[in-house]
Amino acid sequence: MTAQTQKYTFHVHGMHCNACILMTESELADMPNITHVKSSLKNNSVEVIGDFGNKTPKQIAEELTIPLKSHGYTVSVEKQIKEKKWSDFKIAVPIALGFAVLFVVLQKIGIVSWVGGGNVTYGTAFVIGIIASLSTCMAVVGGLLLSMSATFAKEPIRSLDGHQGQRGEKIKPQLMFHGGRIVAFFILGGVIGALGAVFTLSTSATFTLSLIIGIVMLILGINLLDVFPWAKKLQPSMPKFIAKHAHGVSKLSHTRPNGRGFSVGRALTPLLVGIATFFLPCGFTQSMQLYTLTTGSFLKGGFTMLAFALGTLPVLALISVSSFSIKKSSKAGVFFKSAGLIVILFALFNLINSFVVIGLLPPIFNF
Amino acid sequence: MKPLLISLVLSGAIIGGSFWVTSGSSRPSRAIPENNVSIVDGKQIIEIWAKGGYQPRKSTAKAGIPTILRFNTNGTFDCSSSVRIPSMNVSKSLPQSGSTDIDIGLGILGTLQGSCGMGMYPFEVEFQS
Ligand SMILES: [Cu+2]
Repeated sequence: MTAQTQKYTFHVHGMHCNACILMTESELADMPNITHVKSSLKNNSVEVIGDFGNKTPKQIAEELTIPLKSHGYTVSVEKQIKEKKWSDFKIAVPIALGFAVLFVVLQKIGIVSWVGGGNVTYGTAFVIGIIASLSTCMAVVGGLLLSMSATFAKEPIRSLDGHQGQRGEKIKPQLMFHGGRIVAFFILGGVIGALGAVFTLSTSATFTLSLIIGIVMLILGINLLDVFPWAKKLQPSMPKFIAKHAHGVSKLSHTRPNGRGFSVGRALTPLLVGIATFFLPCGFTQSMQLYTLTTGSFLKGGFTMLAFALGTLPVLALISVSSFSIKKSSKAGVFFKSAGLIVILFALFNLINSFVVIGLLPPIFNF
Repeated sequence: MKPLLISLVLSGAIIGGSFWVTSGSSRPSRAIPENNVSIVDGKQIIEIWAKGGYQPRKSTAKAGIPTILRFNTNGTFDCSSSVRIPSMNVSKSLPQSGSTDIDIGLGILGTLQGSCGMGMYPFEVEFQS
């Protein structure tokens, strides 16, 4: 029985993003009998070169599954046939259209003009927040939150001890987003109030920002539909960067790479996005900031922006709750497809509007 | 589905409640005068009301005279408080209440298009000879 190095290709179940490539590769590369490993997201496969004696491919697949099991992957010889479930669209399309109609109707009845003139109290700031969350800011902030929450809800959770789908792990990214958003609004609002100056982004910076957000939302939305495998490769690479970094650190300290990268990504990304919503192109946020600058005090400014952020919370929290209360059930597919379609609609709305603002397109929407 | 139902009811109550509490302060927007273009001291002034969009959405003015766009706001907190005219590279934030003049120089024959800072509320001024 001579030892021989051979090349094998296996199918991997459970891969869905760039971080999964890193995760599977680094785990398998640690196995003593493997000399080369290459994962591919395109067809959910892994190519390994190594010496496995005369084990059958099936036995090798089982052996490779052992280190990956705790991360939620399984290696197998056969390809997993993935159901695309086009029938889900029969319900998802009407839901998304209904949502779009509701959004247009809310704009048409002119909820934005419900705010009276006169003094702005914390109560008014709160109501302005509510109106903002039902209005076009919904397309930006709500769309971003929906795409992020649904994406996190869809990804199987890989915790360190290998237990999947813990509720706490699902809620955490949501809490990070809302917490980051509320704290950032208070602190940055306070800074504006104290300094009497607004952080204004130039038109080109705003355009670049909305373009990036629009494209990210579009990709996340397409991925939520789960019918275009090619879109998986386009998934934003920020989690990948973080995962890579976390991997690098764990490699350096000679500990086994673990699911840490995911946890860091799951906590840090929503936190940063939550803070970033302060700068997002949303008319209400900007005019609240302009008002805040006239308050002339850190506390007044901070509390005004805090009241505004709390006003946006009911609608935004609803988006979060709807995504983490969705369980692995027959309805989940419909939920993700509806969310995907809504996110795509919002993304297109934002993209078109940002082209209007820089003058590349004539105004198209008319509310 | 239970937490979803609870939060749906809860957020509905918060939203409805706060509208009910503040309903006294909201009033219908005033009627927009038919003629919003006037000439004062040789300057053409085009008045536009900005709140939840722009009124009137379309104005007709004379080309070739020094022209000012005057934006009136009254408790305007939405996107219409930031005015954007791409062709003239104008980006202007309006105060919540008051009026703001934007000097656009000599009106050039044709249609001047503008929108709010997010692009969804349009307005236009048609300059005629
Ligand atoms: Cu992944």
